[in-house]
Amino acid sequence: MKDLKHLIFFEDLLQEANNELVRKGKEEGLRAIGYTCYFMPEVLLDLPGCFSVRLRAPRCTSPDIATYYLSSRVCHYARSLMERALEGGYNFLDAQMATETCTATCRFQEHLQQKHLDTVQDMQIIQNPDFFVSFCDVPFKNTEISYEHFRKQLRAHVLDELTAHFGIDTSDEAILKAVEQHNEVCRLINEIGDYRKLDNPTITGYEFAVIQLCSLTCPKHLILPYLRETAEELKTREPDDKKQFRCKAVLCGSENDDPDFIKLIESCGALVVCDRYCYGAVESRVPIEIKEGQDPLDAIARHYLLTSNCPRFMPQDEMRGRKKRLAELCKEYHADGLIVASNKFCEYWSYERVIDTVVMRRDYGIPVCSIEKEYINAASGQLRTRFQAFVESVELKQIKEDKVDV
Amino acid sequence: MKKCGCSLGKALLKLCLKLFGICFAALAVLFTIFFFDLDGKLLYYVVEPFLKKHYDDMERKDTLKDLYDVDKYPKREF
Amino acid sequence: MFDKKKVKKALRDFWYGKPHGERRLGDILEDKTGLYKHREWRGVKDTSYYFWNIWCYNYFQMVMDIMKNGGPIVFAKGLWRYRWVGQTYLPVLHWFDRGLQGLRGEAMKASAWHYRGMVATTIRQFQRMFVCDAKINGGKVNDEHEKTIAINETVWGGIFYPWDGKLVSVPMEMIPYFVTCHVNSHTVLNYIDAVQSIGLPGDPCPMCQAESGLFVLDDMPDYAKAMVTCNEACDASVATSILQDWFFDKPLFALPMPMQFDDPLVKENCMKEIEQCWRFIEQQYGVPFSWDKLKEKLEKQNELQRFEWEKWDVASHTKNYPINGVAQALYRIYQTQYGDWEIWHEVDKKVRKIMEKCVSKNIDTFPKTRHRVIAWSCAPLYYSNWCTWAYNCWGLNVVINMDSLMFDMTIRTDTYDHALEDMAQYHMWAPMRRMAVGGMNHIFELWENMEKFNCDMVAMYDQLQCKGMQGVHGLFEDEFRRRNIHAFWLPHALPDSRTVSRAEIRNAINDYMTTVMHEEPLDPSLLDFDDSMTW
Repeated sequence: MKDLKHLIFFEDLLQEANNELVRKGKEEGLRAIGYTCYFMPEVLLDLPGCFSVRLRAPRCTSPDIATYYLSSRVCHYARSLMERALEGGYNFLDAQMATETCTATCRFQEHLQQKHLDTVQDMQIIQNPDFFVSFCDVPFKNTEISYEHFRKQLRAHVLDELTAHFGIDTSDEAILKAVEQHNEVCRLINEIGDYRKLDNPTITGYEFAVIQLCSLTCPKHLILPYLRETAEELKTREPDDKKQFRCKAVLCGSENDDPDFIKLIESCGALVVCDRYCYGAVESRVPIEIKEGQDPLDAIARHYLLTSNCPRFMPQDEMRGRKKRLAELCKEYHADGLIVASNKFCEYWSYERVIDTVVMRRDYGIPVCSIEKEYINAASGQLRTRFQAFVESVELKQIKEDKVDV
Repeated sequence: MKKCGCSLGKALLKLCLKLFGICFAALAVLFTIFFFDLDGKLLYYVVEPFLKKHYDDMERKDTLKDLYDVDKYPKREF
Repeated sequence: MFDKKKVKKALRDFWYGKPHGERRLGDILEDKTGLYKHREWRGVKDTSYYFWNIWCYNYFQMVMDIMKNGGPIVFAKGLWRYRWVGQTYLPVLHWFDRGLQGLRGEAMKASAWHYRGMVATTIRQFQRMFVCDAKINGGKVNDEHEKTIAINETVWGGIFYPWDGKLVSVPMEMIPYFVTCHVNSHTVLNYIDAVQSIGLPGDPCPMCQAESGLFVLDDMPDYAKAMVTCNEACDASVATSILQDWFFDKPLFALPMPMQFDDPLVKENCMKEIEQCWRFIEQQYGVPFSWDKLKEKLEKQNELQRFEWEKWDVASHTKNYPINGVAQALYRIYQTQYGDWEIWHEVDKKVRKIMEKCVSKNIDTFPKTRHRVIAWSCAPLYYSNWCTWAYNCWGLNVVINMDSLMFDMTIRTDTYDHALEDMAQYHMWAPMRRMAVGGMNHIFELWENMEKFNCDMVAMYDQLQCKGMQGVHGLFEDEFRRRNIHAFWLPHALPDSRTVSRAEIRNAINDYMTTVMHEEPLDPSLLDFDDSMTW
């Protein structure tokens, strides 16, 4: 396939958190608001006057000082973020909107927080006098009281804080404006991503991951023109005559903001057609629907609790329903198999991966490749072997099924 | 009468001594078990290995075959 | 030659027991197994007490407990079916021995009463499980089964007070897993291996692994109609709930414990969650909520708390506190988590009497104390009696620990709203949630408590697989240095004695005491011994 016009530009944007567009946004006088988890609604951090940056720590391979603080037994992602913060890589942030949705990132964000306590000395990691951290309690359920609780949390710990510190307008009109912009990003990302559903997709999983990540880490209004152009470009993009993949896979699992991991999978013959993991587009790019007369904040609170497939959710129907939704994604994206990847030390996904590995194969007949990975996958040899074996097993399955059909 | 009472008293005394003797012997046995940790040794060297073997050999259900029925429990609101 | 002095000394040792410093407690242990060549001679009075009032009494009471709660046949069936009963609970008196080693007089008596309370509660629970268990009752679901609620072990038993006398809540993991690790650490390894055998990596919290493994190995009784679970304060526990849901397959209610518990909005939501849980119970069991029952039980629980405060007062301000580190830690967490029950009141009554005697006669209960230690974070379950060893070997007296301090509150019962509000607070201060994986503000309550309990040293538990505690490791190091506090790290992996052995734990302390503190051991025979195969 012909190279995408902006791919190299997009790739460059992902080389550091404080990228070209973030710097541009700051130059415009906007406030940069960091976050780590899907449960912190990015749309609220994209209100007029500020923009969201979902934190990444690209190219962080040896988080030595962070390992002193968080120990070597905590997920590499959290440690990498901490290392990058200690290096000064997030000094551009004006605030961190934190959640305690997983222990490791919670601890990282607590280190950033100015504590003003006698009990522990403040590390003053972020060298920005305006910087503050606000924690939000995210419910474990998606029931009516949870929606209400989450709405109140977002009001108190996100919106009110933004107004108090930076004078951000958090009126319904401002929220609606942010939702409109957010939905345009969603529409474009979905349009781009839908080409992965084609029999011979005109976009690779790697390319899509790069674009999706840019949409999470750059000011929306600055990335939108590039997304529009890319969406336009894809309308006429021709696939290669010969398929460049041997099977299609849905990639699900824990935190992943490393497009090279997807490149590695694809180099083994499995095209990643769907990204159901933290930083993926399956949930984050579902447009927010606000019904007539509905309080926009209420709609947002509901949206984020309703769309999430995070294993953190505990209602019984949710725990079970996640499997079904995963099977539906495989069907929707015409995937031949499922790759479940969890970061080492990610407790949610260590368990979810085990269950998916058994249940998806047994109850839905979907081949599963179960992988434990690092945040930055420096040693790729073992993973490559695993993916190659998976691709071969999918092919063998297809051959067997073809024989049965004949 | 006197003789009779005397023999009854003797019998009672004998019984008491006997009971005392039994209790004392039982106590002595118990104390020996206690002091030399014979209960611990019995449990460690005999009972636990026996039970462990029993549990190891026990036929168990393959729980991974348990159905995980996604539709069994509906969403609950209260 | 007849040495009069030696004879006199031997007689004195026989009558009073050898003084601390001459005991050589390590010498009476069998190599590897940790069994006793002979049990400790504590002098005539204390040995007699230990033999009759602890050893005989507890064996007898255990039999009585079984008779009162379902009977011997039920027990035998359960024992034959479940590994965690047979392999674990028979050597329970050895658990006493390990915890009470070296203790004398009132300290020995009061600590032993704490153990008695725990044993009685344990028997009550597993017998209830067996009475209800469809698995050992030919697949039949009986009436008791339909009146029993399975709860996660960190859901506070007090949530179910409104149904006292009508329904019984039994924690799923407390008896099959948690208590077993303390009594016989071998059993739990089967469960950890079982869950890893289905693909779970070895790094998540081993406590959660063990809890899941029980279900994987089909070693959980089918004893309840429905279950109430929670996030048990960490990510792995949330995930454990999924495996439990799969294998237990009962109607489930999740009652999470939020971390941001200082936020009034969070408390408000937690109150609603508790009310929803109550409605779930009503729906599932058809038994109405009773405010009167709730109030009555809460008031009884408050009595327990008030006595605990009295105990803390004595522990902080005097040398007369008669409870050793392990008894304090285990009894307190068991009692606060399980909720009110008659046996706790009985035990507290006995302990009050002993404590009052100690205070009135100014008895120095731990006379060889060199350092008053506060133990922080979560303790090694397979070596909860490390503090008994530490006192005997080094004179380190663990006065208080983090788990004891978690539920530091009484609950108002004047109105429903006040009770609910306080219950929400209590629920949110769940084990490991209030401090260990609670907000950073709370984990550093250590300093405040160190001062309160007049401690000069910290035993910092280093649970290698607890992400919450590992995530503040460096800050603690910084603070210890900044505050010039003597602290030793005690690495462990909660129930898994293979990750860090007991000997390694002891070595970590030995090294600190010799190289940093430059102290000599009180009992050199305890410095290095092999108990690698002990219970």
